[in-house]
Amino acid sequence: MKEGFRQSMAWLHTWSGLLVGWVLFMVFAAGTASYFKDEITFWMKPELHAVAQNAVPPVKAVESAVAYLQQRAADSPRWFINLPNERQPSTDVLYLAPPAPAGAAAAVTGAKPGEKPRRRFDRASLDPATGEAVSAPRVTRGGEFFYRLHFDLHYMPALWARWIVGFCAMFMLVAIFSGIVTHKRIFKDFFTFRPKKGQRSWLDAHNVTAVLALPYHLMITYTGLVTLMFMYMPWGPQVAYKDRGGEQAFFSEAFPGGGRDQIKASGNRVPLAPIAPMMAQASAHWGGAAVGRVTVHQPNDANAVVSLTRAEGPQLSYDQPSMQFNGATGALIGAFGDVPKPAAETRGVLYGLHIGRFGDPLLRALFFLSGLAGCLMVATGLLMWAVKERQKFAKTLKRGGRVSFGLRLVDGLNLGAIAGLPVAMAAFFWANRLLPVDVAERGEAEIRWFFIVWGATAVLGLLRPTLRMWQAQLALGALLFAGLPVLNAFTGPAPLTVSLRTGPTSVAGFDLVVIALGLGLAGAAWIVERKRRKSIAKQAAAKTQPPPSTLATSGQGS
Amino acid sequence: MTIGVRYRLGVASRAVAAIFGGYGIAALSAAVLALCLPAAFGMARSEAAMTGTLASFAIFAFAVMWVFAARTALRAWSGLVIVAAPLAALLLLLMRTTGGAA
Amino acid sequence: MTTDSLLLGLVFAASLAGFCALSLAMDRHSEDVFGRGSTPGPWRRWLQLGGTALLCLSLGASLQAAGSAIGWVLWLGALTAAALTTVGLLSAVPGRFHWIASAAAVLALGAALLHLVLAALAAS
Repeated sequence: MKEGFRQSMAWLHTWSGLLVGWVLFMVFAAGTASYFKDEITFWMKPELHAVAQNAVPPVKAVESAVAYLQQRAADSPRWFINLPNERQPSTDVLYLAPPAPAGAAAAVTGAKPGEKPRRRFDRASLDPATGEAVSAPRVTRGGEFFYRLHFDLHYMPALWARWIVGFCAMFMLVAIFSGIVTHKRIFKDFFTFRPKKGQRSWLDAHNVTAVLALPYHLMITYTGLVTLMFMYMPWGPQVAYKDRGGEQAFFSEAFPGGGRDQIKASGNRVPLAPIAPMMAQASAHWGGAAVGRVTVHQPNDANAVVSLTRAEGPQLSYDQPSMQFNGATGALIGAFGDVPKPAAETRGVLYGLHIGRFGDPLLRALFFLSGLAGCLMVATGLLMWAVKERQKFAKTLKRGGRVSFGLRLVDGLNLGAIAGLPVAMAAFFWANRLLPVDVAERGEAEIRWFFIVWGATAVLGLLRPTLRMWQAQLALGALLFAGLPVLNAFTGPAPLTVSLRTGPTSVAGFDLVVIALGLGLAGAAWIVERKRRKSIAKQAAAKTQPPPSTLATSGQGS
Repeated sequence: MTIGVRYRLGVASRAVAAIFGGYGIAALSAAVLALCLPAAFGMARSEAAMTGTLASFAIFAFAVMWVFAARTALRAWSGLVIVAAPLAALLLLLMRTTGGAA
Repeated sequence: MTTDSLLLGLVFAASLAGFCALSLAMDRHSEDVFGRGSTPGPWRRWLQLGGTALLCLSLGASLQAAGSAIGWVLWLGALTAAALTTVGLLSAVPGRFHWIASAAAVLALGAALLHLVLAALAAS
């Protein structure tokens, strides 16, 4: 690039943004929705909306869960019991199937992948009061679908998906850095937004949504890479622990007391010690903080170990301290993580910032707002590229020619990705309420509708990337979103009129937010209508001058 | 070779340099930091490995920016090599002296 | 997180007022609000200082409300919301912009005073 530094960074910014923009829009949209994944899941289980949520003492929740597990999985090498909390009213238990012969390593739930083959584990949601599996609500992946979608994608092995998303995240990081470098007037243009000025307005919108939420965008992109950093960049631990036990040793040192430790069964059956006194001791040690998770290694064995992890609280770090007890005698083995080492704590904070599981709804709402800004940033960037590129074809179009294949492809992808995704998300929620409760594999069935609708919008967008198609899809999205509270009123016990007065508040929140999103999409459809009318008026003016041939207006994209 | 083709080859070459060369430098940096931080500052081994890994993504991004800011594709590659070679040498040295020892 | 509504209101009011002041210190936005050719004139430095001071006030309130770690996160989130609001106001209601900004500033300072008084009363 013979131009200056700023110009080469402008080029880099354009291409690093464009090539992965469509994937990134989905990642941003799904990730932003995930801040409220528990609330989304709850909305998608209308059977639970009328039931009063009475708080159950944590000890009771654990004891009833242990009773359930003793019945079904007494021989399992590992149990996980996630205690109920404000956002998640049921007890979630997971347990591993009993081990296969030698060589099979124990797997850990989802979040830290990559270095071990994963084994099957079964999960159940329990009523914390009775310890029975909650069977009333319909089967649905709920908000978890969006959460998983934004890094595990779907219909492909998780490993591939995470590499793809990581690749896109790296491109995004480069786009942010190069964007900052190339935005010469970052302070002068800080508050600048000039609507109704065509290409200028797109640029202003892109700048505003990018710069005004810049701390968030930098944070979310970098921390996204950090959450999977041991998969993307294992070289530090690998090299440092080459002859000292490898990565496993690294994890034991960096995260002492974590669930990764391998505990082998001795073969001697010993009944599991009561967990209640362990919980009391742990809470006392943590200054009254509650227990969040109970992990039992080799239950009912002489070597059993019970690990208690502190519940999420006001701390930023995702890593919580834990305490380990002898599972047979109940004696304390040790307390871990009370004073984390600086780099490990930094990583925990970065992870915690990305996950954003702040108890306070205000903070999550601010993150949600910034996430929406991120979606708009990506969308305006993609659209701006198409608008600028289209200008190169102005003369060709006047003569009745067509745009390049590349531009037409981008037009179509923009349409399907940006306007189609909201339609698909809304379709997911409509499927949740309209699909029969006893359909087989119900969770996957709802998800299938998401992809069917998204596929349809994408195909339509590629076939006819016109302004009318933009309008149609945006308007459809607006209708489907704004119609969700109406759907809720007809298919659930807590319509907005009820939920606003007596709750559940999360259902009211969902209904209100989707109305707002619907209005936003309607606003976008209106902007397209204004643009359509302007361009028709321009063409009418052009027609008064004798044109060389009648205009065959094709590819009127963005 | 027409200018158009030359340009595209240049871009392709830089893309390769940025993606693979950049990753290589980031990986080298992570490994070097993991070994030299304990040696130089007495940092705990797990801490150094963590620090190196955390920093590597920023290093990757800067390497990519260098590749596209360099005036020619040749310069881009040369810049990467000039940084990578001493890093690799340092890594080998550190592995030999501190890697295996308890 | 303990939510002291007064402090939270202060965080948002101060951020909004701060950004409004900083925007009015720029020729371009002075023109948006007061008409073509208008400049902040001798007020420029005061608007810049005042705006910065209000942003610092919102940081202080944020740290007080949410602690030394989450307080920073809350502040940055509030800044984003306030900056977006400022841009929106400049676009949508430039004629009333300075009234809204002044109201936000008064609210912020009032809330700060109130908080200090209440804290002093609680301590005594």
